Amino acid sequence: MKRIFFVLTALLVTFSMLLTACQQQTTEPDEPQQQATEEVVSEEPSSKEVAVIIGFTSSLTGSQEVSSKRQVNGFTHWMNQVNESGGVTLSDGTVVKFDYKTYDDESNAERVQELYTRLITEDNADFLISPYSSGLTSAASIVAEQNGKVMITAGAADDDAYKTGNTSLFQLYTPGSLYMASTVDMLVDLDPEAKIALVHESDKFSTGVAEGIKPYLEANGFEIVLEEGYASDTADFGPIVNKIAGSGATVLLGGGHYNDGTALARALYERKIGLKFVYLLVAPADTKFPELGDAALGVATSSQWELAATHTEEEANNLGVEWFGPTGEDFATSYEAAYGDPPTYHVAGGYTAGLVLQKAIIDADSVDPEAVKAALNAMNLFTFYGGIQFDTSEEAHGLQLAHKMVVAQWQKTETGELKRVIIAPADVATADPVYPIPAP
Amino acid sequence: MKNLRIHLGLLAPLLVVTAMILWPIITGNVSSREIVFTILKAIALASSLNILLGYTGYVSFGHIVFYGFGGYVGLYFVNEQGWSIWLGMLVGGIAAGMLAFLLGKAILRLRGAYFALATIGINEAMKAFINNFELFGGPIGMTINFSVYRDYGGAAQALSMSFYIMAVLTFTALIASHLVRLSKFGLGLQAIRENEDAAEVMGVVAPNAKTWAYVLSAIIPGMVGVLFFFKNGNVEPHVAFPLHSSIELLVMVMLGGQGTVLGPVLGALAYQGMRGYLVTSNFFKDIQLSVSGVLLLLIVLFIPAGAIGWLRHRVPVLRRVLA
Repeated sequence: MKRIFFVLTALLVTFSMLLTACQQQTTEPDEPQQQATEEVVSEEPSSKEVAVIIGFTSSLTGSQEVSSKRQVNGFTHWMNQVNESGGVTLSDGTVVKFDYKTYDDESNAERVQELYTRLITEDNADFLISPYSSGLTSAASIVAEQNGKVMITAGAADDDAYKTGNTSLFQLYTPGSLYMASTVDMLVDLDPEAKIALVHESDKFSTGVAEGIKPYLEANGFEIVLEEGYASDTADFGPIVNKIAGSGATVLLGGGHYNDGTALARALYERKIGLKFVYLLVAPADTKFPELGDAALGVATSSQWELAATHTEEEANNLGVEWFGPTGEDFATSYEAAYGDPPTYHVAGGYTAGLVLQKAIIDADSVDPEAVKAALNAMNLFTFYGGIQFDTSEEAHGLQLAHKMVVAQWQKTETGELKRVIIAPADVATADPVYPIPAP
Repeated sequence: MKNLRIHLGLLAPLLVVTAMILWPIITGNVSSREIVFTILKAIALASSLNILLGYTGYVSFGHIVFYGFGGYVGLYFVNEQGWSIWLGMLVGGIAAGMLAFLLGKAILRLRGAYFALATIGINEAMKAFINNFELFGGPIGMTINFSVYRDYGGAAQALSMSFYIMAVLTFTALIASHLVRLSKFGLGLQAIRENEDAAEVMGVVAPNAKTWAYVLSAIIPGMVGVLFFFKNGNVEPHVAFPLHSSIELLVMVMLGGQGTVLGPVLGALAYQGMRGYLVTSNFFKDIQLSVSGVLLLLIVLFIPAGAIGWLRHRVPVLRRVLA
């Protein structure tokens, strides 16, 4: 009897693993993965040509899969463009071309240090890009630090990941604590009496964002009537929506990632609790979000970058900051031609990670890691993605200082189609905010 | 001579683990060191689980709770209170052992599938508790400041030192497993595994024996948790209590052969070695989870007693050394 129990348990365990594996693998990539590695390697390098290898792990499977894949696509798009245009030429005539090496980290902390050590010692990566999440980045940054490698972070928004005494991290995204700042500024003008419900996924990123904005909300005189975290795998938001309804909140700020964000938006729409404004992290920034139909209407989010509010050279000139790279329109057109989808901010982040590294190599006139690190520390730049300047203090080295987020909202066009428009800050807004959201 | 024969079963596991530890030291390859660290961690955890699963016959689907809880407690004292990693590991191990003692008193009266289900619940309940426990950072967890590593000579030395500490923990887990197996206490556990009612009739105080087996199987995972989070630089609830890791540990023990000292070593080595190869293989890396799933299904179907059980059955002369 016991033997049968063991065999059945073993079969159950194995079957569940197989099922998990199959489930994760059946999700086809959204865009074609361009294997530029093969293309670059096959070219015979000239005597003055060096191939710089950029190493990173990406979450091809696991909870961060969608955002991480988009980021990788953005990065490879940058690399293909630079290599096809002849690479970066240094003052001594050396032509720098780029190659990359990547592994799947499964959104799992266990192997991150192993994989980054392999990238550095076996694959000879010259520069690193971080994993997508803050937790994985903290683990990888230790390996980067001990090997003196520069690590550009795209996706690791949590402030704490930079407050470790590191010298090698350089963050592209707006820090998590400032994610909702533009939204709060907008609410000050729209409805200073709004009662706020902070309802967020109980994970490092979303909790960091919610905790980070609380002092700013309170400083602006808003009353927080509900603070609630929910588990990452929550699918039934009925009880949480009931709590929001019972709290007397008029504005919801929160969310987490794609799956929970869409489920929460759907539950709010179905329960019709009459919120005036709904802001969710991450999910509404995805191009798949309007698949929710009317449940997507009026839902807002912060975005690191939007094509409609892309930054321009004129903006850079007005600020007296150097401009670098393609225009937002050129980037979006070329990306859509290559991948068939319009770029999201994750794509733009991946592309800009490469762009910033390219500019640092140009400024340093070298691929030496220390020279590139010094160039990054001194960088004050404007690209289509926005401002780039890093904190160089010991307390929070690498934290992004110059990049500002925009607030985007799903609204209906005259033809009844859902479209994401920019509603704040006012100087880049393309539409007025829908406030309050019309009752379903 | 008689003592040597008794301890012959420990020789093979020690040799396998020693060879693994020497590999990165001799080659000086840091990447290999990281690979071996992951394997050693798996061996230490699987060998600890084997005390409960292999000797006592109780399937725990939530054994990773001790790794997570011990790790959290130890890291809190290391990162927030400035304690050394040594004291942190000691506290982490004790905390995990105490948790196991309390849980054991409550759930070890359950048998078979009921016990297995209860262990899943405990892991999830602990994750939810830590997620709401502000002292440990709640959902944000704890991030180590690099200044903590300065006491050990910097990040590079701290990571290198972690490897050697993991080696010691692995040896400790193997020796503990071996000593339990040979002891009167271990015989009691094996009697419980074969027939708990009969064991009680023969004088084994089953509730106590099971509880102490549970405590013993929890201490090393608690210490491993502290060390891993120290090396990893941060801890979050979902990283500390991954249910899938509990299932992987079960697979490792069953793959190598439950109730033996060498079995979990071979199981962990094979499983982690296979995953490590697949995840970095250019050909397999995009389908590595599917491939490992199919391989495991085949192994469990055709060698249900694990590698050691199969070898002992087929080659009787190896029975003395393959313990």
